[in-house]
Amino acid sequence: MFSPDKSRRVASRSILLPASRLSATVWPAALFSLSLSLLLLLSAHANAQTKRLVILKLDGLPYDTVDRVVREQDPRTGKSQLPWIDYVFYQRGTRLENFYVRGISLSGPSWSLLETGQHQQIKGNVEFDRYTMHAYDYLNLLPLFVKGARGKQVDMPAVEVLDSLGVPLLSDAYAHQEKYSGFSVYQRGPRYLTLTNALQNRFKLPPRELFDEWTMGLETRSMVMDELIRELLKKLKDPRIEYLDLVLNDFDHVAHHNGDNSSQLQVLKEIDALIGTVWTTIQQTPDAERTALVIVSDHGMNTDPQIYGQGFNLVKLLGSSAGGGHHVATKRRLLLDYAIKGLIPFYDSIITATRDSYYLRGQSKEYPTAMLDFDGNERAAVHLRDSDLNLLHILLQQLQRKDLEARLRAPLTDAFFNVREHRRAEWQSELNELKEELGALNRSIAKQQMLFEQQPKQLTEEEKKQGRDDEINRISSQLDRWRRNEREYSEFARVLTNLLALKKDTFNAGRIRIEEIIPKQSMGDRNDVYRLQNYVVGLAPVGLVLNPAGSLDMERSFVRVNYFALLHDTTVRNNLQSRVSNRPVDFVATSIPAKSLAPLVPESDKLERDVVWAYKSDDKQALIFARSDDAGQLSFRYQPIKNLRQSTDGQITFDIVEWQTGLPLEIVEDPALSLPAGSTKEWLSQWHTDLEWLGALHRTQHSNGLIGLFETVGRHALAQQPTAGTPDEMLMRRFVQKQRDLVEADLLVLANNHWNFDARGFNPGGNHGSFLRISTHSTWMLAGGSQTGIPRAFVIKDPYDSLSFVPTMLALTGNLRDDRSLAPELTRKGFGPFPGRVVKEVIGKQ
Amino acid sequence: MHHLKRESKGLDKNKAYFGVLDIRKLYRRSWSVARCSRGILLVLACLIGNSVAAQTEVNQQETTTPDLFRLERVQVDGGAELVTIHAKLDSIGGESHEPEWVPLVSVLRDTLGDSKLENDRLRYLWELTYTRPTFWQRVSGAVPFMYTHIGSKQHADKVPPPLMDLSAADRDVWNKICWRALQTILIDPVGTPIRASSRSYQQNITDLRRSHIIRALSLLTLYQELGHEPIFTAAEQKEIQARLLLTDKTFGGLVDELKLPGFYQKQASRVEDNVGHNWELLRQQAEANGLYFEPLEMPDGRATHALLWVAKSDLAKRPVERFDPRFLSISDPWSDKRLLNWDGYSDKRYFDREHRRIESAGPETAEVELIPLALYGLDNPKIPALLVDFRDKRNPKRREMSRRVLQDVTRNVLAVSQFGDIPYLLGRSVFDFVTGRRGMDINQPSRLKTYAQLKLLLSLDDSLEPELRSEISDRVETVSLNPMENSIQAERKLARQQYKALLAYATRPDGLPAKLARDRRAEMTPLEHGKLAQIFFRLANVVSFGKYSHREPDGLDIVGRLDLARQRSYHTKFLREVARTGSENSAKVELAPKIEVVWNLDQVKSSLRFLAEYGSRQDGKAVVAAANIFARTNDDETRRACLAALSQINNGKARSELLRISEQKDVDDDLRSLSVQYLANRRGTDAVTNSNTGTGSPDR
Repeated sequence: MFSPDKSRRVASRSILLPASRLSATVWPAALFSLSLSLLLLLSAHANAQTKRLVILKLDGLPYDTVDRVVREQDPRTGKSQLPWIDYVFYQRGTRLENFYVRGISLSGPSWSLLETGQHQQIKGNVEFDRYTMHAYDYLNLLPLFVKGARGKQVDMPAVEVLDSLGVPLLSDAYAHQEKYSGFSVYQRGPRYLTLTNALQNRFKLPPRELFDEWTMGLETRSMVMDELIRELLKKLKDPRIEYLDLVLNDFDHVAHHNGDNSSQLQVLKEIDALIGTVWTTIQQTPDAERTALVIVSDHGMNTDPQIYGQGFNLVKLLGSSAGGGHHVATKRRLLLDYAIKGLIPFYDSIITATRDSYYLRGQSKEYPTAMLDFDGNERAAVHLRDSDLNLLHILLQQLQRKDLEARLRAPLTDAFFNVREHRRAEWQSELNELKEELGALNRSIAKQQMLFEQQPKQLTEEEKKQGRDDEINRISSQLDRWRRNEREYSEFARVLTNLLALKKDTFNAGRIRIEEIIPKQSMGDRNDVYRLQNYVVGLAPVGLVLNPAGSLDMERSFVRVNYFALLHDTTVRNNLQSRVSNRPVDFVATSIPAKSLAPLVPESDKLERDVVWAYKSDDKQALIFARSDDAGQLSFRYQPIKNLRQSTDGQITFDIVEWQTGLPLEIVEDPALSLPAGSTKEWLSQWHTDLEWLGALHRTQHSNGLIGLFETVGRHALAQQPTAGTPDEMLMRRFVQKQRDLVEADLLVLANNHWNFDARGFNPGGNHGSFLRISTHSTWMLAGGSQTGIPRAFVIKDPYDSLSFVPTMLALTGNLRDDRSLAPELTRKGFGPFPGRVVKEVIGKQ
Repeated sequence: MHHLKRESKGLDKNKAYFGVLDIRKLYRRSWSVARCSRGILLVLACLIGNSVAAQTEVNQQETTTPDLFRLERVQVDGGAELVTIHAKLDSIGGESHEPEWVPLVSVLRDTLGDSKLENDRLRYLWELTYTRPTFWQRVSGAVPFMYTHIGSKQHADKVPPPLMDLSAADRDVWNKICWRALQTILIDPVGTPIRASSRSYQQNITDLRRSHIIRALSLLTLYQELGHEPIFTAAEQKEIQARLLLTDKTFGGLVDELKLPGFYQKQASRVEDNVGHNWELLRQQAEANGLYFEPLEMPDGRATHALLWVAKSDLAKRPVERFDPRFLSISDPWSDKRLLNWDGYSDKRYFDREHRRIESAGPETAEVELIPLALYGLDNPKIPALLVDFRDKRNPKRREMSRRVLQDVTRNVLAVSQFGDIPYLLGRSVFDFVTGRRGMDINQPSRLKTYAQLKLLLSLDDSLEPELRSEISDRVETVSLNPMENSIQAERKLARQQYKALLAYATRPDGLPAKLARDRRAEMTPLEHGKLAQIFFRLANVVSFGKYSHREPDGLDIVGRLDLARQRSYHTKFLREVARTGSENSAKVELAPKIEVVWNLDQVKSSLRFLAEYGSRQDGKAVVAAANIFARTNDDETRRACLAALSQINNGKARSELLRISEQKDVDDDLRSLSVQYLANRRGTDAVTNSNTGTGSPDR
């Protein structure tokens, strides 16, 4: 299946990984694996004869919509409204009737599952590093092309993150010259030729066509996509290319804007025609019988022609005095289409200053205190600055006041040091770790610099064809990223060191520059539940209050916000659509370390490290526990609770309640819940594997939300992570993992049905991003020549989720057996065990 | 009703030909009238119109749908029917609140007197509230900067001007170009007063027509959406709507008919997009400013406009600290003392605990007295268009005027053109960009469209309180900048009068039947003359500003030949559409998907067979279509039909396609031999045909 020169790809990946990792770990494993699986591989080849994969990745294409429209008859032709989907996939292929996004129904994270087959490492379309406020903008392609021209960036940011974690993409299974990929969020290498050809070909039309187009309004939006399609069709004729993919965003784009059936039908027809063209082209190639055409979507779309999607502006809420008076950092500009600056695609975080800030008025640039990722619409991720940093900041400001009453100075100073001491151990430990990692980072930078200098300055055409230029640029790009990391984290470490170094006996607030003690443009650590329930936003209107004992009254002296209650209790006065609630927020979720629940949960030592807490109201809450067995099989338990609280000393308390209606995810009241006969609450209260839960829940309104919540909120260790290596390699691995931990938000806010949090613009047509079935129910269909073994006119009714996609593709091409045994070539390329199941129904049936 | 139409279309061919004889008589009569004095006769005809209508037996049938629309069909002698949509409109401002039926849109369908849809042609479309302006309206329209309504036309007893000739959309293009040339070359150099006045007149005339086109479009869409008896086929409906939309573009009338459905769909999606965005933008702004948002819907449930209200009880407590006027374009209601003592219209509303509006008071409901602040149009690019400011009548007008004043001063008075003055071009571009991008409600595209829709909404939406409707109606008239516009009340009367005149015209032998006959003779031109002659005739038409139209003499077998020509055109269009499907992405035809998956091959073969029987040498487009279909199907029968069609058409292009196919190695031997055979046969036929025919159509 793989040609010998695929080793080139291995070489390129080795550059991305810490030095000598391959030689130390992967090669022996690969050799061992090679000898063991040779026979299996040969037999696999004998069964599955799919030589070539053609994958059309259709952003946001909902299965139900496609299925409905395929069954509609076009009155003009007497055929299906989508005749090619009908012809290729319904009559000659296999479709999965119940295919779901695992996790949040959001493009960035969802494609990561479909690209890697591994648990979510990327949790949003945009992510923020809490320490440095660095924004990972996974969806913006323009910087890739601009920086790429200078050799400063080769891959999309999401690919860079996955590379740093050692997680390969499906396309990485193929050598550079054996694959063709369109432009996407998970793109490797910018292709400028596509852009120039797009421009040229856009106007290469017969004069009459050009005249008509000019008269009707020249469309340039589809220019690049048209060129990518032309390229795909051309590449299909090249027998050397074994993997082709193309991402089409049109349906998602249109459906966000327009909820009407005719606009959506139009774009579906365009997709259908493309499928027809691709299929026809495949049929004219010598490998047609061994080619599989696959369409897959990353999520569904919550769209209804009768309802306008309503937006709720969380930036405004967080900026209001009730919301904490935060200066809010976002990656997307608010009302982008109405801003002149919105035309500039290259910008760092955008800070929306508030006039309602309690203590940071005019300091929005230096001290934003909230970061919001509202991308993805039906959900938002909220980062709030460590509440204790707020407290320290306010106390310092007060202590620096020249008019501060003398009687307050000592209690304030005490309070300042009390807060710091309360966190000292935690911060010191983090600082120590960070310093170790920065040391390793510095050494890695030196090695990477040497590696870069060793690279040839001139390349032959043949080497370029093999992607060698990209490989060299990757080294340089990695070097730049590491240098930036070193700079940014060092600055954070420096200021934190200063804070920890302050001594009470020599403390003189007047001499201190606050920015030397409280890191600028940083959120600090994640807030725990206590801090989120008692978040300090400013000085109380009554001012600083002392206890009878003379110490500062920490409760009365500050304005505090309970963000769970605030978000849930928000209502609107314009409630116009009968099927839309006046509450924009459905529920809020966050993770709680399993160890902090130890006294309350008997099996806490067996739990995954994060427990999900879903808050719908004070008396409607749930904890979702997860554990995995030795084989890596995940199981979950949903525990209805109420009144979860955390005290200042970290102790958590809650009341267990019976299963009832109105709990997060609204499971028990859902008529589509499918449980074994005679059991409801009993079954629901037990541990079940993710497959069992999926089977029970997938048809409910929130589909696989229970599994999805853990996938999104919880952190996932990678199965293929090597456990050995040099000390620097281990430190670098820890550092990369820390970076992932630092993008974990405080709160995941889930919108109520037909609500969204998009403040960049308006999405009246439809939205996605939630766990609602309409948003998670995706499309996956396959068809192929007779030798691919893909069944004809076959419908798979069993539910599957997106973790199944990559292993199934690899199994289809004969590179994976029994869900676990990978072709040695792939193991060498960094592929590891897949947590998802292979859809066996499509493998080798006729 | 529909079955009655079928009945009338079910006339046999003999009967249709009798109809033709009648038409010929009418032609002769009308031609002689034209030669004597066309204008005088028209006046006379109008005068006697009513009595003619009373005396002539009109084949008039009506369909009534219980709610909003009624369809009326009137058979026109010579083989056509006049289809009219009547709407039940609510009374505005008058004493009576009873709804009344008003004719709004009429379309003439030339059926050639038979039941075949393939040879039908849609001709004229009348929007019956569209009238010729009065003398004073015209004078006012020619006065520069006269941006005001000067009063309505009171009587319209003449035949209404058609809004568009659907069968000759291109004519409009040449007229426009001619007028522009005339303006630029002859009128503009005369001096500022003449330039400003003539341009102002042209602008107002154009805007008047646009405004009625928008209403016709909205009405046709609404009629279609409500699922009434179809007047047009789905394809016709889209084509008409696209043609109407393209009247905005200078060369819109020249766009290939195959592109029309796609264009229409794009525009329809754009409208949905605009409305949805503005709905949401206004709702969010209302929410942020503590106001109440209320969308106003057309009878089909589509929101086209929205009202903003403020609660009287909120005025004292001021629920928001700062009023953000962005996008709302109204002054701060929270600091407006007039609202505290508001004596204008207000309305009591009831809301439940979830703040959902309910009809009446009940337990746990809140009663809120609301004061209207503004009304906005939603179908407007980028931002909602302020149409009524209940506290400042002139506010929307000032905003509407901002762009027009700028345009009139620079172009009409100062004669500064963006193409001729670089500093102006740069300055204007920056100004347009900033105001447009930021969504500032000055210098924005005209609110003509949404203003025209509001007029329709006010007539059709019976959910609005009569008092509020009346108030809106009074205020909205001030938005119009066009002195040629008529008021809503006047338009109803005018529509009835014009319809009466149209009916009379349709039943007069020298009226619509005669016009129809003239049009058919003009339609014969391409069948009688070669391309050069056609260009010459077109040129003559253009330079005479449409006064001269070449028409073939009477006495030819017009109906029979038009029947054939139209059917050929129908089948050619269908085959072109088939050939075009899905080929957009393919550089090469053979990569394009097979047509049998998408189309019903029986339909395709039927059209090919028609061409195989009646194809003409002029069918160049059909050749391309047949050749493409041949390449894109594996069905043997269809491929044979393609070859037969090419053989019948037998022009140079068709022969070269046959030759090409005969040389293709991947084509079946049988088909290749058939191509060769056709080529050989046709050479013989050519010799005979060429000796018999000079120029023009082989149908002769």
